[in-house]
This record gives sequence, structure tokens and C-alpha cells, in this order.
Amino acid sequence: MNENTAIQVKNVSKNFRIPVKGHKNTLQERFLNPFQKTEYREFSALKNLSFEVKKGEFFSVIGPNGSGKSTLLKIVSGIYVADEGEVKVNGSLVPFLELGVGFNPDLTARENVYLNGTILGLTKKELDKYIDEIFDFAELRDFADMKIKNFSSGMAVRLAFSIAIRVKSDILVLDEVLAVGDADFQKKCYAYFDRIKGLKSILYVSHALDSVEKYSDRVLWLKEDRSYEIGSPETIVNGYKNAN
Amino acid sequence: MISKNDIDLYKQFVKTIFKMRYKGSILGFLWVLLKPFFMFIILFVVFSSVSGQVGNLTSRQYAVYLLSGLVIFTFFNEGITWGMGSIMERADLILKINFKRDIVVISALTMALINFGINLMIVGVVGLVLGIQFSLASVSYILLIGLVMFLGLYGISFFTSIWMVYVRDLAHITELGLQLMFYASAVFFPVEMIPEKYRFIVEHNPIAIYIQSVREALTYQNIVNLKFVIGSLIVSVLLIIVGNIYFKHSVKRVAEHF
Repeated sequence: MNENTAIQVKNVSKNFRIPVKGHKNTLQERFLNPFQKTEYREFSALKNLSFEVKKGEFFSVIGPNGSGKSTLLKIVSGIYVADEGEVKVNGSLVPFLELGVGFNPDLTARENVYLNGTILGLTKKELDKYIDEIFDFAELRDFADMKIKNFSSGMAVRLAFSIAIRVKSDILVLDEVLAVGDADFQKKCYAYFDRIKGLKSILYVSHALDSVEKYSDRVLWLKEDRSYEIGSPETIVNGYKNAN
Repeated sequence: MISKNDIDLYKQFVKTIFKMRYKGSILGFLWVLLKPFFMFIILFVVFSSVSGQVGNLTSRQYAVYLLSGLVIFTFFNEGITWGMGSIMERADLILKINFKRDIVVISALTMALINFGINLMIVGVVGLVLGIQFSLASVSYILLIGLVMFLGLYGISFFTSIWMVYVRDLAHITELGLQLMFYASAVFFPVEMIPEKYRFIVEHNPIAIYIQSVREALTYQNIVNLKFVIGSLIVSVLLIIVGNIYFKHSVKRVAEHF
């Protein structure tokens, strides 16, 4: 793989077998219907997809619901395995398919910062160093020892985001996570984009076409018929807008 | 390769499981001590106070006998149950983040090991009260048995944690199996009370053998079944090696089946 490539996706296909009838997840179902064959509907989420994300590139993925965007991110993140083709990642990668992964409502905010931060790849030592900044940035300094279950959802998201931006990885995978939160929060997110643009390689999925057009270097458009197009933000976003 | 973050993540998981298990309870951590203690008291009272003697054991001997059985069996029970459920339980995380999956398995087993350690200390205290003279050899032997069991449980969990995702019944089947094992391991009655023709069950059941070995070590400072324990050690290590390969291979597909 080229040294300037951060993510390489080559001829990737992914099918899901969705049980339509007679799915046997428990033995009871198997005993009761021993001869019934489980019927599956083969669902192709990705078909022969290839692209590369260069180092420092802001690469966005757009497309209608069900076009395979989330599946793609999960394969790149190593959560799913591709049926065919291969994915190579050059450098450390942290996926943000959701903010505040692993947040435990019964733990205090401080405990959750350590838990979530470590899940995202930070060490305890690093978190010790950042913890004050994390609470300051989230404007939650006075709530550090409150349980998360007593937080409003806005507070939880702010805390999660404040941890997320400390993550030290070469590659970020972002799935629509920044769509949550109010206008003020989104402003913070975009400020963060401005800061890391060019420094980290980013694979970004969003329905917010304005932000895609503004930040991306290149855009991948996944279509419902499993074909795709890659190109400059203006061309692809316009094409996508006109297609709908 | 184990990174600094893997170790921190492991510690965080153990800490979280620990906090969650006793959250909201007034006595909190004390339950770790109280649960086995009450289990012990109940069985002890039921079996020894009726006749003052259980089989050919005095009630004092029976106390040690029962306690060692309970401690070993509880370790086995928790190791099997928690190890098996470990992947399923963290499905939410596994679907979102690409951390090393085996950390959840070892965290679950560490919980069982911590409880085991605490229970051993109870045995130590009760032993001192009953006037047992612990020898270095017998204590080391008991610790060796604990280690062998831990390795075995770890090896088994590499398989069961994955199977659990595919066949959810495993939780119920295992619960029944463990119930059976409890009786087949002579945890709370003397082996001599089992009719001769069924005694082979206890003689070939690894858990029963471990329990018997611990009893001998505690009561008479005898080291018995050493060959078996060494053999189990080798089997357990092999189980970990093979299990690890199986786990690494299978765990990649697990996320699609939650």
C-alpha cells in the first residue's frame, strides 16, 4: 500500500443473510421445527466497492438510507468483516459510530470520562492530564461527580464530545455523530473540523450536505443500486441533490 | 502485543463490573463476603446440627470440608457463567468500537478470580479459628489448584463466549449443568455418603478432584492428586492456546450475530 494512503478499500462486497422465516436462534425453535429450513433473504449492502483515503484527507460518504454507509464504516473500523475484497488501514483508527460509547448511567461523570476515554484508546495517564480540560470544555466542571443518569442528554453529549476530541489517532471514522445536539454544539463540532482538517485522515458519513460540501476534499456517493461515484464535493453533492 | 491502553482498558472493565455488581445496595462490597458466608451457614446448620456429625466427620471437620467445597465450586460456577456471557454482555461496545475483544473475557474471569481470592481469605480465617496449622506446602498447593482452574476457565471461555452468541440457550443449559455439577462434586456431603456404584462420578469429575485435593491439603496438610493437577495444568494451557486461535478467528464475525 502506498505510504500516503490512510485507508484502502479494494473490491469490497458485503452481503447480509436476513432470516425471513424460521430463524432459529434458540434450541426450542430448532426442536419444534426440525425440518423447516430457515429462509434467508440475501441482502447486498456493498458490492465491489473500491476507493482510497489519502493521509490528511477529509473524505465524506453520502447516499440514501440503506445504501450501505454504516456497513462501510463498520467494515473499515474492523467491526464487520468484508465477504470479498480487502480493507487496509495505515495508522491507528478510532471509530465514532456513536458518541459516549460505553457510558454507564450509574457511574459519575468523572468515572465515565475514564471509562469512555480508555475505550477510545487513551491511557489513564493521559486522561489524568486531560480531565480538567475535558470538564472545562464541556462546561460541566461542577457536575464532575454527578451520575450520568442525572444528566440531560445535552450535557451527556457535550461530555462525550469533549472526550472524543482528545483522541489521538491518525484516522477518524465519523458516522453522523455530530448531527446530535443544538446549534451551539454543532458550531463546536465544525470548529473542531477546522482544527483537525489536514492533520488527520477522516472518513465522514453525513446527511448534512452543507457540511460535506464545505469540509470534504472528496466525496463518495453510494447509490441504492450499489453503484457509486467519487469526485469533488461540488460535483457529487450537486449530482446527489439533483438525483433526489 | 499488549499496549498500555489495553491494560488500562482491562482495569476499567474490571472496575466497572465491580461497581455495577454492587451498585445501589446498602452493604455494597460486603455482599462479596456475606453471600458465601450465609451459604456456608445454611448448609452447615442443616447438615451438622441435626446429628452433630456428618457421615464420619465431626462438625468441626465438616466446616472445613464444606467451606473448601463451596469456595472451589463457586469459583468454577462464576468463571463458567461470567466467562460465557462476557461477549454477549458487551455487545453494545463490540458493535461500536474496535478494541481487543479478549479484554472483556479476561475481565469477566478476573472478577471470578477476585471473588475466589476473597473467599480463600475467609477459609484462612475460619481455618485459624478452628486451629488448623497451615503449612507452606499445602497453601502453595491450594494456590496452584486455583491457578490451574483459572487457566482452564479462561481456555473454556474462549469457546463458550463465542458459542453463546449463536445459541442463546447455552445460558440455561449451563445453569442446569452447573446445578448437576454441584451435586456431582460432593460439595456439601462426604464422598463416603455416595453409594459405591456411583462414586466413579466423583472420582472422574475434575471439580470434585480439585475440591478433594483442597480438603486434604487443608485438613491433613496432605498433597494428593498432584499428577492430576499437573496434567490439568498442561491441558489448561493447551486449551488457552487453541482457544485463543479459535477466538481470534471467530470473534470477527460475532458482531453480525448479536
